[in-house]
Amino acid sequence: METQLLLNSCMLTPMMIILMPTLLPLLSKSLQNSPLIITHTIKSAFLTSLLPLTLFMYSGTESITLCWEWKFIMNFKIPISLKIDQYSIMFLPIALFVTWSILQFALWYMASDPHLTKFFFYLMLFLIAMLILTIANNMFLLFIGWEGVGIMSFLLIGWWQGRAEANTAALQAVLYNRIGDIGLILSMAWFATTLNTWEMQILPSTQMSIFPLLGLILAATGKSAQFGLHPWLPAAMEGPTPVSALLHSSTMVVAGIFLLIRTHHMLATNQAALTLCLCLGALSTLFAATCAIMQNDIKKIIAFSTSSQLGLMMVTIGLNLPQLAFLHISTHAFFKAMLFLCSGSIIHSLGGEQDIRKMGGLQKTLPITTSCLTIGNLALMGTPFLAGFYSKDLIIENLNTSYLNTWALLLTLLATSFTATYSLRMTLLVQTGPVRLPPITPMNENSPTIIYPITRLALGSIMAGLLITSFIVPTKTLPMTMPTLTKTAAISATILGIIMATELTNMTHTLTQPKQTNITNFSSMLGFFNYLTHRTASTSLLTNGQKIASHLIDYSWYKKMGPEGLADLQLSAAKTSTLLHNGLIKAYLGSFALSILIIILYSH
Amino acid sequence: MSTLHLSFYSAFTLSSLGLAFHRTHLVAALLCLESMLLSMYIALSTWPVETQMTSSALLPMLTLTFSACEAGTGLALLVASSRTHGSDHLHNLNLLQC
Repeated sequence: METQLLLNSCMLTPMMIILMPTLLPLLSKSLQNSPLIITHTIKSAFLTSLLPLTLFMYSGTESITLCWEWKFIMNFKIPISLKIDQYSIMFLPIALFVTWSILQFALWYMASDPHLTKFFFYLMLFLIAMLILTIANNMFLLFIGWEGVGIMSFLLIGWWQGRAEANTAALQAVLYNRIGDIGLILSMAWFATTLNTWEMQILPSTQMSIFPLLGLILAATGKSAQFGLHPWLPAAMEGPTPVSALLHSSTMVVAGIFLLIRTHHMLATNQAALTLCLCLGALSTLFAATCAIMQNDIKKIIAFSTSSQLGLMMVTIGLNLPQLAFLHISTHAFFKAMLFLCSGSIIHSLGGEQDIRKMGGLQKTLPITTSCLTIGNLALMGTPFLAGFYSKDLIIENLNTSYLNTWALLLTLLATSFTATYSLRMTLLVQTGPVRLPPITPMNENSPTIIYPITRLALGSIMAGLLITSFIVPTKTLPMTMPTLTKTAAISATILGIIMATELTNMTHTLTQPKQTNITNFSSMLGFFNYLTHRTASTSLLTNGQKIASHLIDYSWYKKMGPEGLADLQLSAAKTSTLLHNGLIKAYLGSFALSILIIILYSH
Repeated sequence: MSTLHLSFYSAFTLSSLGLAFHRTHLVAALLCLESMLLSMYIALSTWPVETQMTSSALLPMLTLTFSACEAGTGLALLVASSRTHGSDHLHNLNLLQC
C-alpha cells in the first residue's frame, strides 16, 4: 500500500517540476525563464522520474488510475483521469532523458538565436502536451495533448519564419495532421454517442463496428505519417535540428502509434482493422525506405528513416503486439534522437552544409560525432544486442511466425534491407572516402554541451534495449522456436542491404554520371506523391465549389431559369412580334380578316 | 341559299377581303368600304320584303345616310393625307410604327 502511495506521489513530482517554468515567471518578476533553467528543470524531472519507474518495476503494479473531476459549474464536470501504467511510466523517463539531451544540445546549436528562451519554452510546452497525451486515461485529455503537440509542431517547424519553405512546411504539417484529427474526432463522437463514455477502460473489447477503429487508424495515419498522409514529415525538416530530433523522431510522431497502443483492446478483435494496420504499415515502411535511398540531404534521410520505422511500428500494431510496438518506440527514441543530434553537429561544423555529397572523411575530424553516428546507424539497422535489435528483431521474428498477409511480410523484409542500405550509404558518404568539403570549415566539436548529449544518447542506444527488456513483463508469449532461416531472416536482410550499400557507394566513387531510370526517378521524386495529390486535391475542391456555388446556383437558377430567364423569354417573344407591329393598317386589317375567316370556318 | 342572298353575301365578303388586303392606294380601300356598305344596303332592303316586316323598312335609308357621311369623311381623310404625304400610298401612313 505504501509503495503505491509513494509511486503515486513520485509520479506527480516530475510533472510538477516540468510545470514550474510555465508558472513561476507569472508569479514574480525575478523568476524569469532562461534556457539553462529550462534544461536543468528537465534534467531534475528526469532524475526524479526514475524513482517511480523503479518502484513500478519492483512492486509489480499493473496500473494506477487517478481520477479528478474539475467542476466548472454545477452540472459541467470535466473528468481529468490519469493512467499510470507500464506505457506511461516507461515513456516518461525516456522522453525526459531524450528531451534533456536535446535541450543541452540546443544550447550549443541555437546559441546565436535571439529568441532562445522562447524556443526552449516552446519545446517544453511541447513536452508537457506530449506527456498529457501519454498519461491520459480518457479521450478528452488525449485530445488536448494531441492538439497541443500539433500546435507546437506548427510553431516549431516554422521557427525561422522569414523562410518561405519553413512556413509551407509548417502549414503542410498542420493540414495533414488535421486530416488525421478528423478521424480522431469521428471516433470520439462515435464513442460519445454509442457508448456514452470517453474513458479508455470502458471502451469495449468485444466485437464492435469497424467505424471508430477506422477513425483511430486515420488519426494514427495523420499523426504518425503513414503512407497517404506522409509528406509532412520530410517537409518538417525545415525546422531547426533540435525540433526534428524531439518532435519528428522520438515523441510527436509516435503519438499516433501510442493512440493505437492505448486502444489496442478494441483493435484486437477486429481482424479487418488489424490487416489494415498491417498493410498500411508495410506500405509506409517500404515507401519511406525507398525514398530514403535516393536522398542527399542528411536530415531528410533520417526523416525518411523515422517514417520507415513508424511504418514498422504500425506493422507491429497490426500483428496485435502493442507491447512490442511500445518497446520499439522506446528504443527508437534513443538512436533516432542521437542520429539527429549527430547530424546537427555535422551541419554546424561544416558551416551549414547538409548535402552528403559534399561531406566525406569526417571520421578523422569529428571523431565523437561520427562514432556516435555509426552507433546510431548500427542500432537502427538492428545490429545484434544494440538497442534496436531487441525490438526490431523481435518484430521480424513475430512477422515471420504469424499467420498474416504475405505481401506485408515481403514489404517489411525489403524495407529492412533498404534501412541497412541507406544507413550505410549515409555513413560511408559522410564519414569515409575522399573529402569533398571546402577547405576552410568551422569544424569544432569540443564543446561539452555537444559532447555530453550525444554520448549520453549513445550510451542509451547501446544499453536501453537490454535494460527495458530485462524489466518489463511481456503480456504475450513471444515465439521461441522457429527454423534457422526464419531466425536469421532479419540479419540476412540487413546484410543484403549492407552489400547493396557498398555496391552503391563504390559506384558513386567513379566518375560516371548516374543514369536516370524510371526507378531512380520514382525514388528521388518521393513517388511523385506530393505532385499528384497536392494540386488535384485543392483544384478538385475548388472546381466542385465553383460548379455548385457559381455555375449551378448563380448562373443556372438565377440567370437561366429564374427571373432573368423569364425576362429573356419575354424579350425574345417581344422581339419577334415587333416585326409585325409596323404601324401599317394593312397588317391589322389582314389579321382581322384572317381571324374572321378562321372563326367562320371553325363554327361551321 | 337563293341567288340574291348569294350575291350580297359574296359582294360583302369580297369587298371586306379587298379592304383587308389592299395593296397601295387608300382610295381602293375606301371604294371597298363603299361596296361593303352598298351590299349591306341591298341586303337591308330585301330583308323586309322577304319577311314582310314593314317596320324595319326604314333601316336602309339610315344606312345610306350614314354611308354617305362616312364616305365623305373618308374622302376628306384621303384629301388631307394626300395633301400632307403627297400621295395616297398606304405605306406612308406608318406613324404608329415602333
